[in-house]
Amino acid sequence: MEVSGASLVGLLLIIWLGVNLIKAPTQFAQVSVLGLRNGLLYALIALGYTLVYGIIELINFAHGDLFMLGALFSSYFITIWFHQKESNLAGWITFGFALIGSMLFCGTINVLIERFAYRRLRRAPKLAPLITAVGMSFLLQFIGIKWNGSTPRQWPTVIPHGDFVVAGVIISQVTLILILVAAPLLSVLTYVVNKTKRGKAMRATAQDQDAARLMGINVNKTISFTFAIGGALAGAAGLLYQQSVGTTNYNLGFQLGLIAFTSAVLGGIGNLNGAVLGALLIGVVQGLNDGLPIALGQRWSQTVVFTILILILVIKPAGLLGKVTTEKV
Amino acid sequence: MARSSQRKWVTGYLIAVAAIFIIYQFLFPWEGLPIGIYDFLQLWLPPTAVNESLVYVICALGLNIVVGYAGLLDLGYVAFWAIGGYCAGWFMSEFFYQINLHFFGSVARTAPGIHVNFWGVLLIGGLVCAFFGILIGGPTLRLKSDYLAIVTLGFGEIIPQVFFNGDDIAGFNLSNGTKGITILDPIPVGAKNIGPFDFGYKFIIFVLLAALMVFISLRLRKGKLGRAWLAIREDELAASMMGVPLMQTKLSAYAVGAFAGGLGGVAFATHVDGVYAERFNFSISIFLLAMVVLGGMGNVWGVIIGALLLSWINSTGLPAFGTTFNDKFGTSINFPSFTFLLFGLVLILMMLYKREGLIPESRLRLILHEGDAEEDLTSKESK
Amino acid sequence: MALSTNNVLLASNISVQFGGLLAVNDVTFGIPEKSVVSLIGPNGAGKTTFFNVITGLYKPSSGTVNYDGTDTTDLPPHKIAALGMARTFQNIRLFGLMTAEENLLVAMHSHLKSGILATIVGTPSQRKEEKESLDRAREILDFVGIGKWAGEYARNLSYGDQRRLEVARALALNPKVLLLDEPTAGMNPQESQVFIDFVYKVRAERDVAILLIEHDMKVVMSVSERVTVLDQGEKIAEGTPDEIRSNQRVIEAYLGKAKGGK
Repeated sequence: MEVSGASLVGLLLIIWLGVNLIKAPTQFAQVSVLGLRNGLLYALIALGYTLVYGIIELINFAHGDLFMLGALFSSYFITIWFHQKESNLAGWITFGFALIGSMLFCGTINVLIERFAYRRLRRAPKLAPLITAVGMSFLLQFIGIKWNGSTPRQWPTVIPHGDFVVAGVIISQVTLILILVAAPLLSVLTYVVNKTKRGKAMRATAQDQDAARLMGINVNKTISFTFAIGGALAGAAGLLYQQSVGTTNYNLGFQLGLIAFTSAVLGGIGNLNGAVLGALLIGVVQGLNDGLPIALGQRWSQTVVFTILILILVIKPAGLLGKVTTEKV
Repeated sequence: MARSSQRKWVTGYLIAVAAIFIIYQFLFPWEGLPIGIYDFLQLWLPPTAVNESLVYVICALGLNIVVGYAGLLDLGYVAFWAIGGYCAGWFMSEFFYQINLHFFGSVARTAPGIHVNFWGVLLIGGLVCAFFGILIGGPTLRLKSDYLAIVTLGFGEIIPQVFFNGDDIAGFNLSNGTKGITILDPIPVGAKNIGPFDFGYKFIIFVLLAALMVFISLRLRKGKLGRAWLAIREDELAASMMGVPLMQTKLSAYAVGAFAGGLGGVAFATHVDGVYAERFNFSISIFLLAMVVLGGMGNVWGVIIGALLLSWINSTGLPAFGTTFNDKFGTSINFPSFTFLLFGLVLILMMLYKREGLIPESRLRLILHEGDAEEDLTSKESK
Repeated sequence: MALSTNNVLLASNISVQFGGLLAVNDVTFGIPEKSVVSLIGPNGAGKTTFFNVITGLYKPSSGTVNYDGTDTTDLPPHKIAALGMARTFQNIRLFGLMTAEENLLVAMHSHLKSGILATIVGTPSQRKEEKESLDRAREILDFVGIGKWAGEYARNLSYGDQRRLEVARALALNPKVLLLDEPTAGMNPQESQVFIDFVYKVRAERDVAILLIEHDMKVVMSVSERVTVLDQGEKIAEGTPDEIRSNQRVIEAYLGKAKGGK
């Protein structure tokens, strides 16, 4: 029954895509490119969810809001502290420093959150850290309100906004910059987790904290490190979002955080490749839904994403690349 | 012993209810009331805030059954509030003007639309919500607790969006979209009709609804179902090994919790005399959660106090304090925005330092089980 | 084999596979009515896995479980429990923030008939049912010797009393089979002896067969009528305590294990 449910959903999806592809091929390609671009942003955020969930089995509800703070930090860094308003060399250099700054900023906040809240609740019933994370999300949103104001705010951007046209499909320079920044970050992350000693410690801690401790791994340090990486990625995403969209708002993190979380679940939470895959898929599906001729359109965007989330959790809770876990007695 | 302690709570509430009713039914509208007292009441305890806080009490008690009793984290409770509200909108107004259906309604028979009696709509709202609770819980309650939190959160986002965009669902106007549905039928009590501004009488009706939820909570807690909920909260696996069917028991918690959400939704709709999609946002789910957490998960009396307190702070306390503060010191600080800080801190600090709540169930139950000596001790300790 | 006698529980040809690992391999095992039997074996021999199959927590890869004439292989745990298969846990799993008597009432859940509306209204039959089950809970608590703690939170009881409460809770299911998973873990020899006497008492006064998983050989040998030995997922011996004591394969399994690791 579960298999047939999954294939039914898949079939409907394919029919929908097929009809649209035949009806408007160029538009299809266009919205796919836009979707992939958003998907890349979602991937950076989704990785933070997946890293943290992988290591301490906590849905860090505050992660999306951390991303929002990253976007605000970047805005202030570039526009207010360094007065860069145009796309020129000085602007690009500031952009580079803003990237480092935002990553450090969000990484630090994330480590502090773990240190002063989640760590104390590691042995508590699961409800406690979850509720704390929700509270943390509100706290960060409060900082967002005070920093940004309670209405959306427009910012000048310093990255080039020109377009290329490839076979009738417009590809903006922003998309290229997103790829230029995100791809190296993702490769470094993969390298760190899979090839370094720290990464090994992370994987060991994720499997069994007590055993890892017995093997001489500093569990607290490893968890802090994980939060630092997750936070840094959110910081990078914040900068990229702010520079590509140009608007910030205090509740930005709520929506994007949920989309990113959905991506992580779709890919199989705890699985790094899964998070990236899920994010790209969600980005594309969202792009298609928002831009295709036969679709529900943007005002149902969130409903579409959440319906996907609920469907995955019901049909295949382990996600596309994840593993099923059972409870120990 | 158990009875006497409970009687104290009940007596306390009855006195408070009577006092508030007298103030708002007779004193407040009375022309002779000194202007200072009138202004004070209007600023610090306006009748709408009192009634609204009771709506929060009703819903918080429902959420308490899900979170406090059964230990299932529900972050989308606002969905039930919304569904209950729209039930009121659909069945107690002229919205569906194409139809002319009256069922013991409180308006003239010639009025178009569906006009079901308020008490009937309460039941409908509750049952529709219970149905949706089972619908969403059925496939998802199998999931691990943290996934459940996310699914409910998604549900809490989808439902309001459906209403928000619901003015054109394949050509059908389900919810009137952003304009909302306004002007609901008055509440019939005997021969009298209670309109939106009869605060005093509506207060009594809301108190009765809250009391109904208290009664249901306490009765269920003492019976077979309540024990099964608690057992699942304490140790799910052991509970199933002792013959407790997990799915069925969790579903019933969801259904009862959702029922309360429906009651609250209908009540809230009559309170604001309408339903507006944009009012049902995520914050409400979190406010309710904070009320349950603050009062002590599973403790009915604690949750009531938590709900009254936080709802008052949110609707009145903070803005009133802000106005007073800004007037006095000539500042222009936006105090209502501090709700985020407040609710965030409540959740975090309670979880870190006082997970059992301000009035924890365990202590209360210890009081109930042991002699008065213990009661003196605890009351001293809490001071 | 002694399978022809009246087995209240019979697990036939049970295999359990986790990924590539064969945790239990083709084990057949029966519990005669009102008997006391033990399941022993070195760590990782598959005892607890086998336990979990019987109680429905795991589904076996192959084989069937028959309890009192019902095929329970594919039933969910709560249904198996409701039929009268009761267990305790290796690391005590009581409902800590519920009173001792409430712990027992939870186990009676499947016997109670009152619905949700009857509970809210408090119909006479619901009140009667509640009163009767409470009386029964008190009676069982008295039987296991912790009647005075009826109104106390489970988590406030002493370790030994918590073990007793777990047995009491299991008895509240009205079981025909009682599965005890390392009940004397963490007890000193005197406490273990008291517990042995308690097991005898339970068997004598409550019509129940007892299956014991135990590490303490002294307990196993003194209390069991029959002992089954598992090693690396396979049944390597079965017989009376005396037969097991002198069985060469059993000695090897234990000594070999002792040599290999610590």
